Amino acid sequence: MNTSTSVTKRGLSLVAVAIAALALVGCAPAVTAPVTPTASDVWIKAVPELMDGMAMTGVFMTLENPTDEDIELVGATNTTEGLTEKPLETHEVVKNAAGEMVMQETEGGIVIPAQGSVTLKPGGYHVMYWDLLKPIPVGSTVTLTLEFSNGTTLDVEAVAREIANANETYDPEADAEGSTEMNH
Amino acid sequence: MSPHTPPKTDDSSRVSRRGFLLTAGVATGALAVGAVGVTAAVNNGTTGPAVAPGATEVVPFYGVHQAGIDTPPQSSGTFLGWTLKPGTDRETVRRMMRLLTDDAARLTQGEAALPDNDPYLATNPARLTATFGFGPGFFQKLGLSAEAPAGFAELPAFSIDKLQPEYSGGDLLIQLGSDDPLTLSHAVRQLTRTARSFATVAWSQSGFTRDQGTAPAGQTGRNLFGQVDGTVNPRRADEFAAQVWATGSPSWFDGGTSMVLRRIEMNLDTWDKLDEGAKELSVGRKLSNGAPLTGENEFDAPDLAAKDASGLHVIPTFAHMRRAKTDNPHEKFLRRPLNYDDGIHADGRTNAGLLFAAYMANIKTQYVPVQQRLSDLDLLNTWTTPIGSAVFALPPGCQAGGYIGEGLLA
Repeated sequence: MNTSTSVTKRGLSLVAVAIAALALVGCAPAVTAPVTPTASDVWIKAVPELMDGMAMTGVFMTLENPTDEDIELVGATNTTEGLTEKPLETHEVVKNAAGEMVMQETEGGIVIPAQGSVTLKPGGYHVMYWDLLKPIPVGSTVTLTLEFSNGTTLDVEAVAREIANANETYDPEADAEGSTEMNH
Repeated sequence: MSPHTPPKTDDSSRVSRRGFLLTAGVATGALAVGAVGVTAAVNNGTTGPAVAPGATEVVPFYGVHQAGIDTPPQSSGTFLGWTLKPGTDRETVRRMMRLLTDDAARLTQGEAALPDNDPYLATNPARLTATFGFGPGFFQKLGLSAEAPAGFAELPAFSIDKLQPEYSGGDLLIQLGSDDPLTLSHAVRQLTRTARSFATVAWSQSGFTRDQGTAPAGQTGRNLFGQVDGTVNPRRADEFAAQVWATGSPSWFDGGTSMVLRRIEMNLDTWDKLDEGAKELSVGRKLSNGAPLTGENEFDAPDLAAKDASGLHVIPTFAHMRRAKTDNPHEKFLRRPLNYDDGIHADGRTNAGLLFAAYMANIKTQYVPVQQRLSDLDLLNTWTTPIGSAVFALPPGCQAGGYIGEGLLA
């Protein structure tokens, strides 16, 4: 899988400022570039055929944070050509007022604890693909870029896997932005 | 980043396949028994009691050959035959084999598959192996018939056969074995979930043999007739190289092997009518320890010329052992059978027999002549009936990042 990291322009400019400050002051505390979390076992629930023109699915993975500060996964961008035009969202699954497990958009991102990890899995956190324009066959790969709260990004490749669950109901009551009830 | 986490077990708890071969050749000469404990003792340099095979014992997945062939037989095994879905092309099969390889590489090392809804069932591999093979239909459907291994084809029809389609044929083989039946069931389920996106199941056959921890030391395993079965197997690495591993025909198949799987129904009820002497004459070996009727111990060479006081051959002309035995080095192969016992038929007959799995470099030159002799004359045919038959080409092993069959499909 591709786990090459890319430091955003914002991250680079911070480093540049820090180096400039060091040059000026000469004895300022060392400032290092922001660290990109690592991703492993990245997979996406396969969508062998588009159903009723309302196809969606979730991406799952384990994220590790080697730093001493919490980092949040705040967003993701699809980089697979022609797969969707809708922005991706980070979702969580919660119990709604009726006691049902439903998914909603995550507020403030998915926390990767300092010196720890978080696993996105069915029934929990996931990155949501909306309005798929083509199927995702079992065994094919999808590429996306993860975006983190410290300004770093990470390109990942998700392998499409068949699984029976990961069918959480989308609850419009639990998410102000939601408008319909769907499966993914 | 490697997609596979390194195995968590330490090296001392592993039985390497090479270690097994060396150990079996030196110490016991037995394929089915004792290897784990003996290897542990050798590795530790101690003479203490043999260590029972552990739940976390791991057989390496990656290597020159696929695991599950020269691996000492596990106590439980399942063979799954699959039919590729219509319209399956080479690109689709590449995806399938990549996913199956990934599942196998994880599960055999005691890790959950990706994904796995029951990850806690994956933690006791107990020597789990997963082995893959391609049937004649696989080569035909993918336009790869010219790449089929030398001598690889469906077996000719034998007069003794009463083959049933529900136990015969198949485009893809998944062979699984473990010393823990729960682990085996979980692995079957995970690999089935992956395979069924690409293929439909043709048959599923499960069997068993004695657990390595309870089998008598120094003796080959027994079948349901009580016979010691598999005495003449290759054991040393040079014997495997000569009999089992293919070379140069074609080159992508180097380190692979061909497999014959025969489901042989055994009529335990009519076998029960024989006394011990008649049973021994049918095979030419003693039931007590598998020794030839002309010898004392299992691995004694039989004397086929020996006659008794009345001038009859001590090992009869119709005996299974005489009919199967050959001095032709090209007619030898590995037998790795499992017993099956699927309960009792509605009419009261036992539904039991042997999943006879044999592995050889070339089916046509090594296996067919032996099977033909047994079909022509073998007293054991009185109590046995082949009811299923399939052949598969088992590609060589692969390294991390690769997949089984890549030499053919890439």
